[in-house]
Amino acid sequence: MSLLGFFSQWRSSSRIKSLESQLQGRPTPQLYLQLADAHKDAGNSTKAAQVLKLGAARFPSAPEIIRRQAEAEKIERENEKRRLIDKIQTHPNPILYARLAELFKADNELEKTIDTCQRGVKAFPKYGGTYLVLGQIYVEKRQWQEAVAQLEKSVDLDKYNYLALKLLAQVYMEIGRPADAAQRLEDILYFAPGDEAILELLKKAKEGAGQPFEQKRGSNVEIVRGSGPMETARKPAGRSGLGLRAVSQRDKALSQGVQNLRTVNGVTGAILVDQYGLVVAADLDASIDEGLAGALITNIYRTASGNSVKLNVGQFEEGLIEGEQGNIHILQLDEMILAVFARADVKMGMLEKSIRDFAAAVMQIK
Amino acid sequence: MRNILSQLNKTNGVRGSMVVNRDGIVVASDFSIEVDESGVGAVTSSILSALEGALKRINMGRFSRFIISGSESKVAVVDAGQAILLVMLQQEVNMGLVNVEIKEAANAVRANSKM
Repeated sequence: MSLLGFFSQWRSSSRIKSLESQLQGRPTPQLYLQLADAHKDAGNSTKAAQVLKLGAARFPSAPEIIRRQAEAEKIERENEKRRLIDKIQTHPNPILYARLAELFKADNELEKTIDTCQRGVKAFPKYGGTYLVLGQIYVEKRQWQEAVAQLEKSVDLDKYNYLALKLLAQVYMEIGRPADAAQRLEDILYFAPGDEAILELLKKAKEGAGQPFEQKRGSNVEIVRGSGPMETARKPAGRSGLGLRAVSQRDKALSQGVQNLRTVNGVTGAILVDQYGLVVAADLDASIDEGLAGALITNIYRTASGNSVKLNVGQFEEGLIEGEQGNIHILQLDEMILAVFARADVKMGMLEKSIRDFAAAVMQIK
Repeated sequence: MRNILSQLNKTNGVRGSMVVNRDGIVVASDFSIEVDESGVGAVTSSILSALEGALKRINMGRFSRFIISGSESKVAVVDAGQAILLVMLQQEVNMGLVNVEIKEAANAVRANSKM
């Protein structure tokens, strides 16, 4: 690198650090815009888009930041579509089809969305995520029977699919089947107890079905064990976490990586799930239902990452949960979520290094 | 309660803290930055709900603490008996040093809540 190039890079890096520091003190829309420009000037358009997204979440009434964020997202979507289309050609996996379909859907390209989903279903018929995206399309088109068919397939393949169960319940309410809606909502409460949005929907469903509803607020463990709607939350019927189980080289590599994590002293299990909570790879204690574990982890991740801006932490990167009998490390890896379960006496330094090594390896896996 | 938070906030790396009850209602707060306190309180309750249910289902025992690391900073959600202690931290904070202070503060909140 030339001296000029080095100086330019140093100046850019200093500017970014200065703006990040100012944002920690007193964030303003202007600072977010300046930071996004600084990242863009440094050649990192992805980071610029992330900064704009955070800024827009924090200042939803600032018109310039909203406009810039929408523009940046559109460009990122187009880049991502190209990347996914190439990857599907060379190293297809079902997550790619579902992700590509979602991107087409975000740009209202409904026919391309359906076509991508149908190709995904044909190539990977046992992956529930693609049926979920198809279900979402039919809901938007108000084709309720088709929506029910696709969402039921999704839920049948993965009984812990929060998004599919919730959308299915909403469709059932739409077509006048509140008892079926209530059943699906109670399925969700089994692995997402205390979910306020689901409780609200359940109340309406039960009212519609003429069934009693006893709501208990609060989030204590007793709610899971106690009386009321939580106790009636049943373990959903159907299959659990069939997802993508090791059929391709990629899946085998991910499975191997997860198994390797488990060999770290103090680690009691590890699980990798996709954005829908469907299990990609897992190595857990035999007593734990991996589909349930995947759903629980996804619920925690969704709650934490969905509120990360409100908590003033910016974009969620990782979480460490400590319980009396062990820890759970959660972090986002590409389009997936990794959770590692460990005993309370695990050596954190060693564990964190192992997780980072695994994360680096995942990014390399095609 | 405010004295406990004020003392905790003197620790290097701590940007502010608050105590909420398990329904998300703010009991006390002390921040050096602008924070939507009632919003954060409500979020804390949601997160707690998700965590406690999960830990119960996968036999990890009672919830103790949740550290969230983000692109801009960190936050610690800590069990303090009948209440929850939330501590906002700088991104580069040395957790080894701040852990002791957070634990002491949580114990003090726990004792205070019983009064």
